[in-house]
Amino acid sequence: MRRVSIVQGENAVIAEPHVIISTLLGSCVAACLYDPVAKVGGMNHFLLGEPGADHKVSGSDMARYGVHAMELLINSMMAKGASRSRLQAHLYGGANIISGLGSIGASNAAFARRFMETESISIAHCDLGGTLARKVEFLPHEGKSRCTKVAERVQERPVAPPPMPAPGGELELF
Amino acid sequence: MPAASQIKVMVVDDQTSMRAMIRRALQDLGFKDVRDKPSATEALPAIKSDRVHLVISDYNMPDMDGLQFLEAVRADPVIGKTVFIMLTGSSDREVVQKAAALGVNNYVVKPFAPAALKEKIERVFGELT
Repeated sequence: MRRVSIVQGENAVIAEPHVIISTLLGSCVAACLYDPVAKVGGMNHFLLGEPGADHKVSGSDMARYGVHAMELLINSMMAKGASRSRLQAHLYGGANIISGLGSIGASNAAFARRFMETESISIAHCDLGGTLARKVEFLPHEGKSRCTKVAERVQERPVAPPPMPAPGGELELF
Repeated sequence: MPAASQIKVMVVDDQTSMRAMIRRALQDLGFKDVRDKPSATEALPAIKSDRVHLVISDYNMPDMDGLQFLEAVRADPVIGKTVFIMLTGSSDREVVQKAAALGVNNYVVKPFAPAALKEKIERVFGELT
């Protein structure tokens, strides 16, 4: 069995058997998506933003990062033959375990649920919230997942949101 | 200076959350007439029968992607000159070059802040009021 580990900000999409995608979550959320017909599965691991002393992350900023993280995962799955209408989700994480981060875990969890509802993606399994870290393993070809609560503290580095591309600062054609 | 409230917009993206977010951003910028479709195949007949001034379309969509959509718009004698802004991912450099060759008016890299969208629209229409 091949193991693919992902960390915050990453995703993995697999369309072959004998592969496990795994990650370790604290406040972050991992969405495991699965298309049972195409037998394509993928997992992402995202934190929507950390309000800090020197910057604030607005609700709309958080939504923007979350929507983008989900879009990257879904687009990669569709490129491997998945259909948006068949996707099922397993959601994990969103614990409130890091002091000073307030309810960021709960915000991440709420976003994940809301996103699935908006996109009409059924939630087949969900284990969100609480105060313990989680180890998540996902069999992307089978659509099966397993979550183990982890007592020790996860070294999940709270990060500021990725910078927005500067307006007009990309490929200058116009 | 064009008034944003006078510009009719069609937003095309296969992700409901993204369409809703773009709609909100446009409404915050003063746009009043914003409609949206989940695919280019649905948007194309809609903008032929009820013309818009601006199309904001995702690139990465099933069935007809953003480049095919742009090509179809530019080939149409009635809607061929409609302003077309493409939404792309950060790694889609080649897509941007192809879109430029097909006559796209501008592009925005996801994830984008409303200010970035405003700037790209203003580069085409001029400063919005």
